[in-house]
Amino acid sequence: MIEEPYRWLEAVANRREYIEDQLRGATPVFAFSRPEGVLLLGAGPGRTKIFEVYNRHGMAALGNPVDIEKLRQAVIETAHLEGFNRSPDDVTLRRLVGFSISTALKNAFEQIVAAPLIVEALFAECGGAREDDVLVRVRYDGAPEYASNGIVVAFPDREREREACEWLRAQLTGSDPLARVRGLCLTAWSALVGGTEFQDLKPPDPLPAALDKHGIESALIDRSGTGPAQYRPLGEQDF
Amino acid sequence: MNGDFLSLISSNPFSGLTVGEKCPELLEATTVFAFHFSEGVVMAGDHRATAGNVVFSDRTEKIIELDNHSLIAIAGSPAVAFEMARTLQTTFEFYRRSQLQVLSLAAKVRALSRLLRENLPATLQGVGAVAPLFAGREPGDGHPGIYYYDPLGAQFEAAGYAASGSGSGSIRSVLHYLTKWGNPRPQQMDRGDAINLSNRLLLTAAEFDTATGGVDPSRGVFATIRLLTRDGIQTVSEKEQIGAWRKGDGND
Repeated sequence: MIEEPYRWLEAVANRREYIEDQLRGATPVFAFSRPEGVLLLGAGPGRTKIFEVYNRHGMAALGNPVDIEKLRQAVIETAHLEGFNRSPDDVTLRRLVGFSISTALKNAFEQIVAAPLIVEALFAECGGAREDDVLVRVRYDGAPEYASNGIVVAFPDREREREACEWLRAQLTGSDPLARVRGLCLTAWSALVGGTEFQDLKPPDPLPAALDKHGIESALIDRSGTGPAQYRPLGEQDF
Repeated sequence: MNGDFLSLISSNPFSGLTVGEKCPELLEATTVFAFHFSEGVVMAGDHRATAGNVVFSDRTEKIIELDNHSLIAIAGSPAVAFEMARTLQTTFEFYRRSQLQVLSLAAKVRALSRLLRENLPATLQGVGAVAPLFAGREPGDGHPGIYYYDPLGAQFEAAGYAASGSGSGSIRSVLHYLTKWGNPRPQQMDRGDAINLSNRLLLTAAEFDTATGGVDPSRGVFATIRLLTRDGIQTVSEKEQIGAWRKGDGND
């Protein structure tokens, strides 16, 4: 099969179709660069979508839980080896994405005789100041897209993902408290999952603090954290 | 994917220390100790590192926070000891992040034991012996433990106190006396008294051991003191040590 180029192309196209079909129905995850740090948010029963990676790094993912776990373990191993062999300051998201995450996902995607990784993810690095934060969306084929506006959404439908991102950017100001960010995020979450058009979407008053049928997972990579590990899961009291 | 960082680094080696035929004068770090007080465990040490009869540094930090629930005090070869501390820090954090739970206290105690055992060749050659102390507690459980080790890695839990390094003999004697006949006994002391006792113990050790130093209250130079309590790990500031010292008799 793979010795004939057109068959390889066909196999890759089939693979893309299969992965996108498997991802359909997955719920979105979000990352926001805020004055307090980087806020990660998703919906799940706890520790299924939002994870700590390293001192200043976190990730959020959607897709097959086993594949999320594979990706999570791989990036945690790489980060800790890099931090141990060099120094924690040398663990940067651009290097993790460039030399580990994207490569691993691309290899898994193109190995057409092996099962693909059914996972979409976003990664975040909290800098000393907001403009130093790095947010990146990584697709199932390994393609990274760095965010320049401090908001990243991961959702299987790219067009809807882009719309959600633009809507959130239009709604948020730099001084909004985390509670408002969460409320707008949950509004966008419901719109993405429920199929509501963003064009006509108005933020409800009051903004939601919870979802009807889902728990919320959220974490802050805290810019003001004093210890080396700046990631902390958030509870209701933190909003 | 079992959260074992030591296995991970053994399959991803990096160049370690090598010792040539002509070994330089070995660096050593002394003196460290830990004892129970009313709120938890005090772990303290001086700042001196020596090479033979040369004071190599009087600003060495020997009490190292491994994670939110454990501390190590190093005595012996700093090159090996600091590397052990760094390895344990990464090991504990790697396990917590990858397994989404904190490593148990028993496993942490054994992790240090394993590093000491793996360091046995250097210990036998006389170029890298380390005699650390370890203090830790289970998250959520208030009772902390103090552990000490032999060079082969055997671990022992201390009932009330432990000390290591060249000045440890004097410190053990004083702590034994206070535990037996003190009023208050170290385990009954409040925070201020425990801090004051720590500096007095180091001054006592320095009286009889030239390799113990870096503590001089008359010049405002105090010990490194960290506390392991229910609230986590706290580093005692120089300001607090000055206050505790003055609240004692302030006489050195």
